[in-house]
Amino acid sequence: MASTSRRDYQNPAVDDEDDLIDPDDADLNTFDDPLQSSSRPLTGTIGSSSGGGGGGPTPSSFSSQNLTSRIPGEDRRAPTNTIDESVWDTLRRDLVAVWDKMREVLWPRHLLYGTSLEHVDGLRGAYANLRSGGLRDLAGRVMDTEALLEGGGGGGGAGGVGIRDWDLWGPLIFCLALSVLLSLTAKSDQKDVVFSGVFALVWIGEAVVTLQIKLLGGNISFAQSVCVIGYTLFPLVIAALLSALHLPQIARIPVYLVLVAWSLAAGVSILGGSGVVKNRVGLAVYPLFVFYLGLGCLCFIS
Amino acid sequence: MEAGQQQQQQAVPGSLTWRLSSHPITLLTFLAFRASSLLVYLFGLIFIKSLVMIFIITILLLAADFYYLKNIAGRRLVGLRWWNEVDPSTGNSHWVFESSEPGTKVVNPTDSRFFWLAIYVQPLLWVGLAIFALVGLKFIWLPLVAIALGLTITNSLAFSRCDKFSQASNYAGNAFLSGNIASNLAGNVVGRLFR
Repeated sequence: MASTSRRDYQNPAVDDEDDLIDPDDADLNTFDDPLQSSSRPLTGTIGSSSGGGGGGPTPSSFSSQNLTSRIPGEDRRAPTNTIDESVWDTLRRDLVAVWDKMREVLWPRHLLYGTSLEHVDGLRGAYANLRSGGLRDLAGRVMDTEALLEGGGGGGGAGGVGIRDWDLWGPLIFCLALSVLLSLTAKSDQKDVVFSGVFALVWIGEAVVTLQIKLLGGNISFAQSVCVIGYTLFPLVIAALLSALHLPQIARIPVYLVLVAWSLAAGVSILGGSGVVKNRVGLAVYPLFVFYLGLGCLCFIS
Repeated sequence: MEAGQQQQQQAVPGSLTWRLSSHPITLLTFLAFRASSLLVYLFGLIFIKSLVMIFIITILLLAADFYYLKNIAGRRLVGLRWWNEVDPSTGNSHWVFESSEPGTKVVNPTDSRFFWLAIYVQPLLWVGLAIFALVGLKFIWLPLVAIALGLTITNSLAFSRCDKFSQASNYAGNAFLSGNIASNLAGNVVGRLFR
């Protein structure tokens, strides 16, 4: 690896400066194409110094496409006619959908399955592993989160089904539970403030983390991301419950660290398929980590 | 049929009494959900001293109202439904509107009037309450009002949009489905054949 890069520096070709930049990064995008990036060369993401024609339109097209999805819609005489179904059918379908999302959180399968070949179901997972392994060699730079997300990203096409249909029941219920449990142990004159504070903090935190992922070019919709982050609050609700039950401070430290790690693992695992631009995975995940850690600390001191 | 007879007995069809409704239980539950969130927000402090409890109850009622209106009341009262789908490859979300096939469902005018009245009046009331909360400097209630506004306005926009789509496609469909209002079953079958 080092020898090839040195050779490139020894004869800095004037005709193709793309090739001088490419070898460590262009393979990233040729192996897995997160968004439209397969059509554009990587010069746009590295910097403006290349001055190529490819880098120009991409940032504006990201934001304009993803952030302005307003009400233009589609009329449908649905293939599955849901207009005339019974109330029980509707309720059952939505309850099943909620339970599916909960299962994704309880068992962050991308992290657990993506690591070894044996547990992977079928060819797709094996291919994902091969791909991530080969990519690791080629790219020559391995961050931990990136390796994790390669496992998640490979299965993301199949696993994305779990988060494709979003709902806000999970965020609502867990946010309320967290606020209530944390306000239980507050002083009696501060209960209201603690409740409102935690409630607002959770929603603002979800919005900020989502905005960060969107601005990094992840192909996930706003509500989808809020849904995922909301459902992954479940381990922190357990932490808040333990705090409300007056778990001793010493015991809290290891338990809460595990719970925060669980939240983070679930969040990274589910969001892994969302196509957050691979070069910036750490950047996209870090605010999520801060968010979980902050809530964990709040549970700790309450 | 019952509704038709009742309409003949009582004077004005489509007037705002629940006896004229063809889905009285759905309608009453719908109106109860709509009203209860507002009532708890306005008068809850008289009965429950805890601000947090009122907050929680109101939010849960709002969520239940949103869900009930979107998934149950909308399609049973006026035969409309909407939802939001996300394209997994790009992450763009788009709205999908579903309406009952023309001719298969006769929308009761009473149900329809109640429905649209409730759906448009509710956001206006919450806007008024938001102004009161702002003027009265009760900032602790603002998140609640904001959530209420978001939920109710989303439903209003989506359903009015859904209604437009439905009317547009009904004009197109009326040409060959005009004779089928006789029986729901027959209309349904014919509708499926022609689709």
